[in-house]
Parts: sequence; C-alpha cells; structure tokens
Amino acid sequence: MKKALNAIGNYFKNFGIAFVKGDIWVKLSAVLMGAGYFARKQVINGIIMCLVEVLFAVLCVGYAAPNLAKFGTLGTVQFEQVFDPLTMTSTVNDYDNSFLILLNSIISLFIIFVFIVFYISNMKAVYRLQQQKENGEHINNFREDMRTMFNEKFHITLLTLPAIGIIIMNILPILVLIAVAFTNYDQQHMPPNALFTWVGWSNFKSLFTSSVTVTFGYSFRKVLIWTLEWAVLATFTTYIGGILMAKFINDKKTKLPKLWRTLFIIAIAVPQFVTLLLVRNFFADSGIVNTFCNSIGLTDFLKNVGLVPSNLSYIPFLTNPGWAKVMIIIINIWIGIPYQMLVATGVLMNIPEDQIESARIDGANPLQIFVKITMPYVLFVTGPSLITDFVKNINNFNVIYLLTQDVFVTSDQLLANSNAKEVDLLVTWLFRLTNEYYNYKMASVIGIIVFIICAAFTLVTFTRTIKGDKEEEFQ
Amino acid sequence: MKKTIKSIIRHLVLLFLSVIWLIPILWLFVTSFSGYKGINTSHFFPETWTLDNYAQLFLRSDSIVQYNRWFLNTLVIAIFSCLISTILVLMVSYTMSKLRFAGRKGLMSFGIILNMFPGVLSMIAIYFILKTLGLTNSHVGMIIVYSAGAGLGYLICKGFMDTISVSLSEAARLEGASEAKIFWSVIIPLSKPIIVYTVINAFLAPWGDFVFAKLMLNSGVATDWTVAIGLFNMLGKSMINKYFSVFCAGGVIIAIPISILFVIMQKCYVEGITGGSVKG
Amino acid sequence: MKKKVLATLLATAMVAGCLAGCGNSNDGAASTPATEDAAPAEDAAPAEDAAPAEDAAPAEDTSSAADASGSPIDTLIANTTGTVTMTVWASEEDQDLTSKMLDDFKAAYPDITFDITLGAESESTAKDTILTDVEAAADVFAFADDQINELVQAGALQEVAAHYTYDVAAENASGAVEAATVDGKLYAYPMTADNGYFMFYDSSVFTEDDVKSLEKMVEVADAAGKKIAMDISNGWYIYSFFQGAGLELTLNDDGMTNTCAWNAAGGTDVAQAIIDLTASNVLVDMGDEDMATQIAEGNVVACVNGTWRAETAQEAWGDNYAACKLPTFNAGGKDYQMSSYSGYKLVGVNPHSANLGWAMLLAEFLTNEDSQTARFEARGLGPANNAAASSDAVQSNPAIAALAAQAAYATPQRVGGNFWSPAETLGQILASGNPDGTDLQTLLDTTVEGITAPVE
Repeated sequence: MKKALNAIGNYFKNFGIAFVKGDIWVKLSAVLMGAGYFARKQVINGIIMCLVEVLFAVLCVGYAAPNLAKFGTLGTVQFEQVFDPLTMTSTVNDYDNSFLILLNSIISLFIIFVFIVFYISNMKAVYRLQQQKENGEHINNFREDMRTMFNEKFHITLLTLPAIGIIIMNILPILVLIAVAFTNYDQQHMPPNALFTWVGWSNFKSLFTSSVTVTFGYSFRKVLIWTLEWAVLATFTTYIGGILMAKFINDKKTKLPKLWRTLFIIAIAVPQFVTLLLVRNFFADSGIVNTFCNSIGLTDFLKNVGLVPSNLSYIPFLTNPGWAKVMIIIINIWIGIPYQMLVATGVLMNIPEDQIESARIDGANPLQIFVKITMPYVLFVTGPSLITDFVKNINNFNVIYLLTQDVFVTSDQLLANSNAKEVDLLVTWLFRLTNEYYNYKMASVIGIIVFIICAAFTLVTFTRTIKGDKEEEFQ
Repeated sequence: MKKTIKSIIRHLVLLFLSVIWLIPILWLFVTSFSGYKGINTSHFFPETWTLDNYAQLFLRSDSIVQYNRWFLNTLVIAIFSCLISTILVLMVSYTMSKLRFAGRKGLMSFGIILNMFPGVLSMIAIYFILKTLGLTNSHVGMIIVYSAGAGLGYLICKGFMDTISVSLSEAARLEGASEAKIFWSVIIPLSKPIIVYTVINAFLAPWGDFVFAKLMLNSGVATDWTVAIGLFNMLGKSMINKYFSVFCAGGVIIAIPISILFVIMQKCYVEGITGGSVKG
Repeated sequence: MKKKVLATLLATAMVAGCLAGCGNSNDGAASTPATEDAAPAEDAAPAEDAAPAEDAAPAEDTSSAADASGSPIDTLIANTTGTVTMTVWASEEDQDLTSKMLDDFKAAYPDITFDITLGAESESTAKDTILTDVEAAADVFAFADDQINELVQAGALQEVAAHYTYDVAAENASGAVEAATVDGKLYAYPMTADNGYFMFYDSSVFTEDDVKSLEKMVEVADAAGKKIAMDISNGWYIYSFFQGAGLELTLNDDGMTNTCAWNAAGGTDVAQAIIDLTASNVLVDMGDEDMATQIAEGNVVACVNGTWRAETAQEAWGDNYAACKLPTFNAGGKDYQMSSYSGYKLVGVNPHSANLGWAMLLAEFLTNEDSQTARFEARGLGPANNAAASSDAVQSNPAIAALAAQAAYATPQRVGGNFWSPAETLGQILASGNPDGTDLQTLLDTTVEGITAPVE
C-alpha cells in the first residue's frame, strides 16, 4: 500500500522536476505537446503529439464538454412530443437522455484521464530527450523508435489491442454501472421518456434495511447465504466427483478408458442451455420422470415419508424450495463432473509414480494411497483453479436461470416483495431485476456487492501466486 | 476369479454411471425423431417416429424457424470471434508470462479482478455503447461482444506458457531475434495444446449464449438470430407445445459437430487445461 | 425554457403543416369530404395537454387550412419521398396472416415504395423487449392489454390522437376501447377481444349443471379420477376468486401503486376456500404449457384458460369440447361467481417511429374490420370490432360465447407492477395447502402490503 502511494508520489514529483528543470522547449511542450520533439529533430514524433493534442481538443469541445455540462444533473429537459394530426408527423423537443449523458460523460472522463496520463508522460519523455542531448547520448530517430516497439517496448505493442477491447467491453460498462448505483434509474425513471438523477447512497441503504414493503435487506441476506452455500457445494461436489471419476477411468484395471471418457464428454458437448432446458422439462411437475416415479410408486412412498407434501400428486423436483435446491446441485454435478474429470485426468497423468510405488511396497492400501498421496498432490496442483471455480459458481447464471425461470414460484412472501426467489443467486436476482423489473439502480448495487465478494476471494489467492516466485519455478 | 468379479463390478459401475449421464442426451436424441411436436410426458421413446422435425429445420424455413440461417450466422460469428479472442488471449498471456516490465503484477491482479464483474449486469451498458457505434442487430457487434474482452481470460494460457522453458527464448535472443520474432516463432509453436484449448472454448461461446445474443439481436427478425436464440425461443410459453421436438432436433444438430471436435481434440484440450491450471 | 422550446417547435410544425397543405391544394389533389376526416383532428388539437392555451390557438387555423386542402392521407402521400421503412412485430402464430395483411397494405397504397420487415415477438412478452430500448423497438407492434400502463409510462405508445381510415373508438367494443385507454387518452388499436379466461370442459364428464359450481365440478372430476387445472400461482388467475367475493384490487390514480382489499373481512374465507378446493388434489395448480400436455394426455378434463388453448382442447375432446363462463365457488358458506380479467390484444405505434404517419395507417389497417374478420377465420381469435364480432360464425364459436357470458363478471386489467410477485406467491402458498400453517389473516396482510407497496 505504502509502496503504491510512494509510486504515485514519485510520478507527480518527476513531472514537476521535468517542468521546472526543463529548458524552453520542454516548457513549451506543456502548451504544444510536440515542441520538445521538434527541438531534438524528432519531427514525426512531434507531429504525432501535436495531432493527439488537437484531436483531444476537438473531442473536448465537441463531445466531452456538452455531456459533462449536464453530468451534475443528468439532464433537465424532459422528452416531449407533439403530434400534428393533419400532417401525421410529430415534432420532438431537444430532450435529454439521462443514460446517454451518463454514458458519454463517463467515456469523456475516461478520455480526459487517459490524456492527462499521456500528457504527463510526454513531459517526462521530452525532458529525458533534453537530458540525453545534454549528455551527448544518441537520440533515436523515428524508425529506431518504432523498432523498440518490437523489442524493449514489445509489451506495449502486444497489450494495446487487448486493452482497447477490455476498456470497451469491461471497464467502461463497469464504471457506468457503478455510477448507476448512485442514481434512481428504475422503471419510473427510464430514458428516453423520463429523466433520472443522482440520489447518493440511498440505494445502498435500502439494500441493508428491511421493512415489510422494502424487503431488499431480507432478500439480500437470504440470497447471499444461498449463493455462498451453492458456490461451496457446487464447487466441491464436482471437484471431488471429477477426481474420483478420473481416477476410476484411468485406473489400469479399467478397460477401454478412452471410450468411457468419450461417453461422458458427449454430455458436455451438447450446449448447456439445450441440456438444461431439456432436463427442466424432464423433471417438470407433469414431466416424464414424475410419470415414471408415479408408476413405480416412488411418489407415494415419498409422500408417506413426508418428503413430498401430501396434497401433491407429483414430486416437486423444481418447484419446491427444498427439492429445487437439491436438484439444482445434483444437475450441476451431472454437468460439472465430466469437465472436472478432464482436468483431473491431465493432473493424474503427471502424478509422481515413484511415490505411489514406494507406498505400495510399504503395504499401503489403495484408499490410503489416494488419501495420503494422490489427494494432497492434486489439491496442491489444482488449488488455485478451485478458487476460480468457486468464483465462477458464485456467478453461475446458466444453471440456476435455465432450471428455474418460469417454473419456480417462491412461497416466501418477503422474498416475493423484492422479486427474489429462494433458489436465486445474486446474479440471477439482479438479472431478473434488470430484465423484468428494470430496477437498474438496485441491480447495480447488488452487482457491486457481488463484485466485491468475488474480488476479495480472488485477491486472497492470486496475490500469493502472483507475488511469490512460483512463476519462475518451471522456467 | 476374484479379480474377474472385481473387474466386472468395476465396469458395471462405469456402465451405470454412463447410462445416468447419457439418459438425458438419449432422450434429446429420440425425442428429435418424435412424431408428436409437444413434450412427451408418459413415454420415454416416442410413439411415432419421423424425420419431419429435421425436415422442418432444414427444408421448411419460415419466419420462426430459420435453422440454416441461424447455423450460418452462428458459424460466422463463432469463427471470427474465436480467431480474434485467441489472438488477444495469446498476446496478453505472452506479455504476462514472458516479458518483464514495470507494473506487470499490478496489471495482472487488475485483470483478474476485472474479470469477476458479473457480465449480465454490464450487459445493458455494453448494449448502449454498441448502439452508439451502430453495432446492435449486426453480426459484427456480436463478434465484438464475444471477443473484445477476451484478453482478460489469459490466466490458464499464461499458466501454460510459464511452463515453457526460458532457455529457448534466451537462445533465440542471443541469435539476435527480436521479441516479436521470439513470440511468433518460438513460443507460439510450443503452445499448441493451449491454443487448441482457447480456440475450442472461444468457438463454443456463441453456440451456447442466449442472454447477450437476445439483447443485441432485438429486431425480432428470425433470419438475424443465432442458433441459441432460435432454439431458446422455441421453448417460449406459446411455442413449446408445437416446437419441443423441433428444439430437440436442433439441439442434436449442434451437438454433433461439437462432440466430434471434442473427441478429436480431447488430448490437446486436456494437456492445455492442465498445463494451465497446474499453475493457476 | 422548456415551454419556449415547445412553443417554437409547435409554431414550426404549424408552418410546415400549412405549407404542405397549401402545396397539396395547388396540385389539385382530389378533396375527399373533408369534414369527416378533419373532425377528429379538431377534437385532438385542443386536447394536446402539453400545449399551453395560446399555442393551441393557431392549431385551429391549420385545421381549417386542411379543410380546404384535402385529407391528411393525401398530404402524407404527397410528402412521402423515397422508401418507407418500417418494422412490424406480430406473435409467432400470427406470422403468415400478418405477412398477407402487409401485402394488402402495400397494395392499398400503390404509389409508395414500402420496405416492411416482419418480426416475431409474442404479444405476452412484447413489453420486455420494448422497454429495454424503446427506440430500437418495432414501429408497429402487437401486445396484450395488461402491458399498456407500463408501455405508456415508458413512452412506448403513440397516442391515437386522430384516426384516418376508420373510427377506432366507435367501431370497437367499448371494453376494448377502455382497455386501450389510459388517463382518458386512447393509446392503441384494439385487435382481438379474446384475451380473457373462462372454463373449458369435456362434456362427456361434466353436464351443463355441473359446471355451474366449482365444488360440484371437483366432486364430479374426483369421481371420474380426473383433474381440473387452473394456474392458481399466478396473479392473473387468482384474482378471479378475490374479485368474485367482492374484494377489490384497483390501480391508484398515480398509475403505479395499487389499492387492495384482499385482507378485508371475508378475505380469509376466500383463502380457505382455495386451500380446501385444492386439498383434494382434483383442482390442481398448473401452468399453461403443462395444461396443454395434460389435456392432450387426457388427465385434465376441465381447465381455466383462454382462447389460445381452444385448439388443444378441441383436438383432445373432439365433439365433447365445450366452454362456459367460470363457475361459482363457496367461501364462508356463501356462493360467489368467480370474476376474471377481460383481456384484449392491441396494436400500438411506437412514437419513435421515423414514419409515424405510415405506422399509424398500418396499425389501423391491421385492426380494421376486414383484418379482424380474417384473424377470426384463420385462427379463431375473437374480434374486438363490433361489426366483425356480430357475424354468425363468431357468435356460434363456443369459446367466444363463453367469453361473452363471462364478460358480465369480468373487469379490465388495471394493476400496478407490484401486484404480480406477491399475488403469485400467495397462490403458490394456498395451492400447496399453506404448508407453514401461517395464520391466513397474516398471510393476506403480508400479501396486501406487498401489492400496495409504494413505488419510489
């Protein structure tokens, strides 16, 4: 933390030094960005810098300024339309679209931020050129500069394109949605017809308060608990199941291991949404499994045991909260094991044979070998990916949504009042809030919370792998 | 003797497990030949067998079923997005794995955390960004949606590249090769398994995604859709009783090429994923 | 500021209108009996609530200018240059029919080049797609009347301020017009009048007397070992019990929140009645898709559903297919006639359409008498148009007759968004026999609190 602050401090300090100690050309660069380059005969660099500056100025005036001017209020002019019945045309006023203002303002702020960083580094670069010249060092011409892009600065060349994609697809949307969490953007305030505006922390407050009518606090707690339960259960069942299955198939005593593996792989080759929708109808209240259970008397048996409510003539596989949760986990095992099996197969192939051999000579039985040698090795090797899976399961939209959407009706009235269900994960809940109830403000708040939870889990594991020197181990 | 019995039991257990795993798939397969269009709830196997569902998919295109178009659309989107995402992933993972520069670890953590943000939420913002660029209801837009952010998924690929020995690139460097040349002619050829893994995953995404696709391709015109939206649409409230077996037929058709891809590439896939996840 | 902009805009529009009108008269376009066409326009002009009084004044001048020049349609044709591009959304089942109507529409205006795209969007979910991005939605779309409030609020419906080819308000059933009206303004064109629900039954199991009372039906079905299906865990259907017992649910004037009396005296009797009726497992809570399968399988011999299931029932029961109004049910020792929501399918025009005039003409075309008759003939959909509905064929259709009989007990659907989730859950709890044993009054109180929750 302290290191990071120091780094930032130095960053600005160096900028200050560059400006104060720089000669006239460096100082002139503060106004005309290319000046420093012209002075050192780097004409092309100079022209490029000037062009960047001009482009930025044009963007500021034409794009950023008009949007940022409305950023404080997110627009004041409501959409109004006047229809003329005689010409059958309508005229629309010059209205404000709060969402577009928000989006464009954030893009503008982002551009400005990037420009400032660029500007500061430019100053430093120009100052460095001055120093190089004073020290009589060689100054690169444009071609040489270009060549460094494929050598010392190759990382910049490689990262530019991915970074642009990530900025458009990830960073900007996230910034927009973080902003939405502080507005009242919901069905009553939907652009283009209506405006929305800033409301401060009130959405966060309503997520953590509970009354009979505003039950977000209650629902959030319940949904969060189930999300974590689900993530733990789903991760471990498929993980353990996958290892056992891989072990079983790869055992020397198993004939035709490839055939068996292929059979299981077929189950994951069918796209998830097809299998899940299919399985949902398979286990429907009047579906084929119920017909079968009914005819062999399983339904009646479960009724007598009390596992099925007595007024039902079917097993509520996906319609009763308890049953649905169990079924979702079982179906997830069905979907997840073949995949984990593939991973585990690879890991098991690399297991040090000599250890197992010596243990066997010492008289250990297969179970002992598995628990004492195989599992610790596998755990050691796949530990980090276990956490990735855990986080993926927190965000596992497909399984829950496809299995329960339109089928499961909650019987918890407080959950119903905030449009949640017992089987909802935080992501499915927020998806329904946006997609069916247009409650973007609450969905954004929930999204931020999910983000924080996942980020915390990931940071804990990955800072260890990244910071440690394990990276170089194999190289 | 005891050994044989044990072996038989072992294989019976395996057989039992594979039956469990394949029952829904078998149901998908047989229902796709059902003469009854709705959901069959009393028999596992259809009462009447027919190829009509397939005929409806391929031969009788109407404003609801445009399977040929959907397949073509999805194929085009899948090919382009898998090319672009593979390139992006390789670029990022190589940089993170083999190059050393200031701020590398910070960038890596940042990327991993960024990847945690639930995609379904940022969807609406992405929609409006693409709309401003005029890319909604276009396949170019879909390709961008599936591939632009791919760079964040570098982790497994980077893990794999970490296992490639430094000595190789050192040797090339001594011979005066540029970093770009090392990337292209030393590292890439050695990364075949992880490239296959990345390609398969990227190729599969458009076939299974209905959430983004439904939001982006919102013109309601069936010829624009991908397979996933088209099939998902068939299970809508008013459609399911007339289209369930057609849905199954459509499912079978996408499953066949993907299964073949998986079976052939199995070895590479396993090597890629384990090489990568070993390091995390 | 806002007013000033508006006034300027209005003035510009008027001038443009004048010029267009004059230009047209110079061309010597045939002037149709102008009074008839201009009449609605005159009504509409002062009704523009957004326009302050002084702005409305010049509007009258314009309409008199139009009197002299010719009908708005001629003006529109004269002003249209280039291709008219539009998108139309109709439900999946309506595709063939609609594409034929679109051809007829194009043929009706031979001088204009149209490029009309037909998309599939089911009427029951149109709102979900439209509200996500109103500007990207179709120019003309069909939707179920329960979505009208939300659509109007989101600015997704162009007010039907004037009509051009037929009188929308006068030629359609008053209920349908009411369903298309919000705050006294007409926002959509009625297309069908059959989106409500009633009872289907197999007359080989039930007699006409049996179907008068739900208790009797349950008894008869039980004896036959069959089921009666109703989607009880759905606010739309469970409404029929409470409303039937006189416990009202109404939309407040703000157009968003509800007033609900389900927890008033007698509410617990209704809740208990639902529990009792479903306890024997003869009246079962079942979704629409399941119902279709179960009717075909022969397990369900009667169901509360709408005309969209008529085909399934007819196929399964053949000559024994019958339909009637909803039965009575007994709550607290008293028989109540079950109520229902009357439902309509409407066609709306998107205010963001680039070709608003043509979109409105097309919407009129898709809902005129001929189109409604064609829709009945092709798909058995009950027309909202009075003339089309009075034909013998329509009158003798059992499903439509049952709807007509139920109409006396039906109310138009006016309810705010907070109704659905709590009501659905109430239905789920009652249909599964109140498994937690919650006190019924508490149950209803919580439901009502959810339904009447304020909307920020």
